[in-house]
Amino acid sequence: MSDEENHFESKGDAGASKTYPQQAGTVRKNGYIVIKNRPCKVVEVSTSKTGKHGHAKCHFVGIDIFNGKKLEDIVPSSHNCDIPHVNRTDYQLIDISEDGFVSLLTENGNTKDDLRLPTDDNLLSQIKDGFAEGKDLVVSVMSAMGEEQICAVKDIGPKN
Amino acid sequence: MQGYGDAGGELAQLQSTMHAIEAACSSIQMHINPAAAEAAILALSQSPQPYKACQFILENSQVANARFQAAGAIRDAAIREWSFLSAEDRRNLVNFCICFALQHANSPEGYVQAKVSSVAAQLIKRGWLDFSTGEKEPFFYQINQAILGTHGLDVQFIGISILESLVSEFSPSTSSAMGLPREFHEQCRRSLELDYLKVFYCWARGAALSVTSKILDSDLAAPEVKVCTAAMRLMLQILTWEFQYNRKGTKSINHFSAGVRHDNALTNRTDCILVQPGLAWHDVLISSGDTVWLSNLYAALRQKFSPQSSWIDSPIAVSARKLLVQFCSVTGTIFPSDSGQSQEQYLVRLLSGIILWVEPSDAISKEIESGKSGSEMLDGCRALLAMATVTTPAAFDRLLKSIRPYGTLTLLSTLMGEVIKVLISQNSEEETWSWEARDILLDTWTALLMHSLQPLHITGGGISLPPEGAVAAANLFALIVDSELKAASASAYNDDSDSDYIHASISAMDERLSSYALIARAAIDVTVPLLTRLFTERVSRLHQGRGIVDPTETLEELYSLLLITGHVLADEGEGETPLVPDAIQRNFGDFLEADKHPVVLLSGSIIKFAEHSLDPDLRASFFSPRLMEAVIWFLSRWSPTYLMSLEETHDRNDDSLLSRGHQLPQNSRKTVANYFSEYSYGKFVLGTIVRVSIITFTSYPGENYLQGMTCYQLLHALVRQKNICVHLVALESWRELANAFAHEKMLFMLNASHQRSLAQTLVLSASGLGNSEAANQYVKDLMGHMTKYLVELSSRNDIRSISQQPDIILSITCSLERLRGAARASEPRMQKSIYEMGLSVLNAILVLLEVYKHESSVVYVLLKFVVAWVDAQITYLEAKETAAVVDFCMRLLQLYSSHNIGKISLSLSNSLLSDAKTEKYKDLRALLQLLSALCLKDLVDLSSDPVESEGTNISQVVFFGLHIVTPLISLELLKYPKLCHDYFSLLSHMLEVYPEMVGQLNNDAFSHVVETLSFGLHHQDSEVVNMCLKALRALASYHCKETAAGKVGLGSRASDPRNPSGGTENRIFSRFLQSLLQLLLFGDYSPDLVGAAADALFPMILCEQSLYQKLGNELIERQANPEFRLRLTNAFQALTSLNQLTCTLDRMNYQRFRKNLSNFLIEVRGFLRTK
Repeated sequence: MSDEENHFESKGDAGASKTYPQQAGTVRKNGYIVIKNRPCKVVEVSTSKTGKHGHAKCHFVGIDIFNGKKLEDIVPSSHNCDIPHVNRTDYQLIDISEDGFVSLLTENGNTKDDLRLPTDDNLLSQIKDGFAEGKDLVVSVMSAMGEEQICAVKDIGPKN
Repeated sequence: MQGYGDAGGELAQLQSTMHAIEAACSSIQMHINPAAAEAAILALSQSPQPYKACQFILENSQVANARFQAAGAIRDAAIREWSFLSAEDRRNLVNFCICFALQHANSPEGYVQAKVSSVAAQLIKRGWLDFSTGEKEPFFYQINQAILGTHGLDVQFIGISILESLVSEFSPSTSSAMGLPREFHEQCRRSLELDYLKVFYCWARGAALSVTSKILDSDLAAPEVKVCTAAMRLMLQILTWEFQYNRKGTKSINHFSAGVRHDNALTNRTDCILVQPGLAWHDVLISSGDTVWLSNLYAALRQKFSPQSSWIDSPIAVSARKLLVQFCSVTGTIFPSDSGQSQEQYLVRLLSGIILWVEPSDAISKEIESGKSGSEMLDGCRALLAMATVTTPAAFDRLLKSIRPYGTLTLLSTLMGEVIKVLISQNSEEETWSWEARDILLDTWTALLMHSLQPLHITGGGISLPPEGAVAAANLFALIVDSELKAASASAYNDDSDSDYIHASISAMDERLSSYALIARAAIDVTVPLLTRLFTERVSRLHQGRGIVDPTETLEELYSLLLITGHVLADEGEGETPLVPDAIQRNFGDFLEADKHPVVLLSGSIIKFAEHSLDPDLRASFFSPRLMEAVIWFLSRWSPTYLMSLEETHDRNDDSLLSRGHQLPQNSRKTVANYFSEYSYGKFVLGTIVRVSIITFTSYPGENYLQGMTCYQLLHALVRQKNICVHLVALESWRELANAFAHEKMLFMLNASHQRSLAQTLVLSASGLGNSEAANQYVKDLMGHMTKYLVELSSRNDIRSISQQPDIILSITCSLERLRGAARASEPRMQKSIYEMGLSVLNAILVLLEVYKHESSVVYVLLKFVVAWVDAQITYLEAKETAAVVDFCMRLLQLYSSHNIGKISLSLSNSLLSDAKTEKYKDLRALLQLLSALCLKDLVDLSSDPVESEGTNISQVVFFGLHIVTPLISLELLKYPKLCHDYFSLLSHMLEVYPEMVGQLNNDAFSHVVETLSFGLHHQDSEVVNMCLKALRALASYHCKETAAGKVGLGSRASDPRNPSGGTENRIFSRFLQSLLQLLLFGDYSPDLVGAAADALFPMILCEQSLYQKLGNELIERQANPEFRLRLTNAFQALTSLNQLTCTLDRMNYQRFRKNLSNFLIEVRGFLRTK
């Protein structure tokens, strides 16, 4: 883990905060939200009132973007809630090591070796098979609130 | 008959079949191997000529279920084999069923007899057109004998039930499927209606009469009661028949909608079906005195049995009441044309019996509350509803006057008042009898008052309720409002989240509220002041109790009052400008002073109340979000009708039109409108509305519903009217709103789609500015900030790293939504500035698309903005501008495609996965919309020079675009109906308009088109199939015409010159000729498609004549049955030769071919398709 810090302290948003406040009423479906300290994608928003003549409150259902668990929260719609800073970076895949780690090429020519292969079967087989066939693969890495994970792969094909 | 030698063997076989079926039936009952048992039963009904075995089972089996199944098997086999059966066999089968049912009438298993009766009825219908009248005679003779009662009560009952099944078989909505054309069913129905229905009715009546005296002498368990009930049920069934042939005796068959009633526009909300049997029924229904007999019978039964509480719901009582209610609905030409007098007398006779069911209403409701059944009372209400439907309000009111000192309207009002009292006192959520009674009675009022709203319909002049009726309506309305207010205050603390929102509560209450409004308008001079009084009372109660009393109950009452008042004062425009309701125009003749006009007072007090919300202290104490919703709702309902209404501005012209039919005092009608006109109080009210709207944006953070209503309903309605826009743009408060929108952070807190709507509204209001320059400058000022922001952001060096910050995402999304809203507001006057607005951000959009390629929500907003902008602008653009826009669109498509093709994403959870799919679908749909928008340029072009002058070829561009987009569309995604629809309509549009492009496509693209069409041709959605057929027609006719003119047409795509006789796979028309024929002959499809299929088939046959011959011959040779083979040969012959069809593709020939194909299919599909 300490290696990682040495390698990547130069990331552009090192000083940026991990979350941002945003009014609950403006959070839309398909956006992001922090529920119980986890970054989530919002899959459902519904509003109701606190008593007939009370104020609106939002009911969020989110899916943890890293582990797929469902989380729920209720926030008065005029209050702020935390929105995670979700970053996605594309890297070219250089290598897959035997212990399940990947080696990625960063934009400035360094390598990033601290990520595991994803556990998702479909994605995993696409990466492994594609790599075995010698395809040029670009993986997207999603990071938020100090966690990161490979979230997509794309075959960019032979360069021409 | 077979020889003796066989008899023993046959008997044994019959017995073994019977045992097999019996075993199967009992094993089904005990759930032992049901699949095998079902197969055994199915085998019986599918075996050829199983009649003997079935009859044997019916007569000998001790297992009732086996008899039941045997009857079913007779039905299935006979319907299937009908055309092969000899005339004698057919008669024998029917006879057997009738005799069997009658002979075993006393069998305890009634359901077997019912089944056999229904089989008899179905077989009679199947042979209806085959049997001569003489052949039918014996069947009906037997049934009649049975019904006459000569063979005992059980037989009489079965006789009636055979007729019941028969009538229901002949009525299109309840008939069973027989695999015969609609025409057959129509002929049967017509024949029965004209020749038999009345006879049956008389038989049923005779049966009922014959047992009446017995019933009155015995008790409810007597067997006669069952017969009488059945007879009345049959009479009712006959009276609910949808009479069609009463007018002139002829009516063409409706081929398009089977068994759907569409004639009761007046009664759409009720289950009151008008009975219009025509003059022929006069003797039976009117002059026969049936009504009197039945009324008396019911009265006598009521008298005798009323001590038994269960009697009200006993079958005989229920049927008698239903029949009486049905009698009330009799109307039309059955009554002589004596301006309704004989109908009135007829109804009075009925009413004199029915009145006892509902009067005295207080005593009856008390009885019901203490446990008596409410069904008699409800039937009484239904009878009133039926009478209200068939009479005018005045005639309706007169009905009761001949037997009571007051009119029917008073009765209706008292009755409803009583029901409402019970409703208030119960105060429960459960639906009780009083709910139902209230709904029926409200429908009754609606039926009456709708009559009076259609002045030309009946008397040619505006009629309103008689004075007594108006008083009754006023009293009733007061009671209604009272009960609604009580209900409101009682529910003020309920916290059920469902009914919280105004949309939900309005749509749930809407029918009720509009009925209330009708009642209120019937006595508008009383009800408007009442509403004013109630409203001001509540408002002053709020002020007095401020800080002392919890205002919640009063708030809820005000909420309820606002909804009711909104409905009373104004109609919903549904997109059009609603007029001031007729009743309000007509009834305030003497109020010439505007500020004392009751409507002005009421509207004024509400607007003043709305104004209170501008005061921060009052707002905090009273104006809860919910109350604010009602205020905004009221304002948006009220303002299109009253605020600066156009009616008043172009005065003289409209007068003659509007006052047609009723002489109105000119001034009174104008009073209200004048008061709120742009020259008077109107400007002030408009200012108030705008300020209240701003308050909902700024002081109710996070109240999405409220803000949405302000955006979508209130403000949208305002800018729809040009004359209001003129004043809006001059208002200080509107400028404040525009300024805040352009420059302040505050409005960025609104929901993004509300911001879109607000942008649209603000831009639309620019049409109120004097000239085009001012309008364009206004739009520039409004949107400049947003475009500048996007351009600056996208050119920042650190865009990649900051772009993922949530706050940046939010502000980009909002800015784009605003641009999209502005783009949607494109009007010629502002077109230039909106074009420039879009042009300035095009590069920024490409940058953002790249940066946000993983952020699907931003991508979607980007695409939607481009779609809206291109769609709104493309027709105005000059050639050079078009070239730039088209170029941009292609870059956008390529960029999008390069990001998404071959991308595999993490599928952590199912719901995320399906969300991702939905996002893809929405993106692709937007891209298809973009291409469709580009197509528009070739259809409508308002520019000065043609697009080609800059070398742009729209069709090429769109085909290229399709080529980029189609690989992204998977079969999976085509399951989204909208996407599928958009895709096929774009594709078929392209193929229809530019068939020549197909010849120029490369192999991949071409085979993609072919595969897509082939997929679409077999799609479930007939709309999609239709579009594919259109495309095929266009392609084939193009090719045909071109080759006829000696050109290549689609060239190698249509016929492969290198390999003319070889595989048909690569030749588009041969492939589709085959699959289309296959579909037409053997597939399932909607009959609506036959026309389109003919249009596609005809040119394809011309393109591929030899293949067509070959296919036809193959089909003919495959037929084993020589008769069928001959028919098929002739049909193929006729298809291409009948109606002087020739080989040229013109309109006439297409029409002829349509006719030929339709005949062809009717002729051959029957035997080609086996099932």
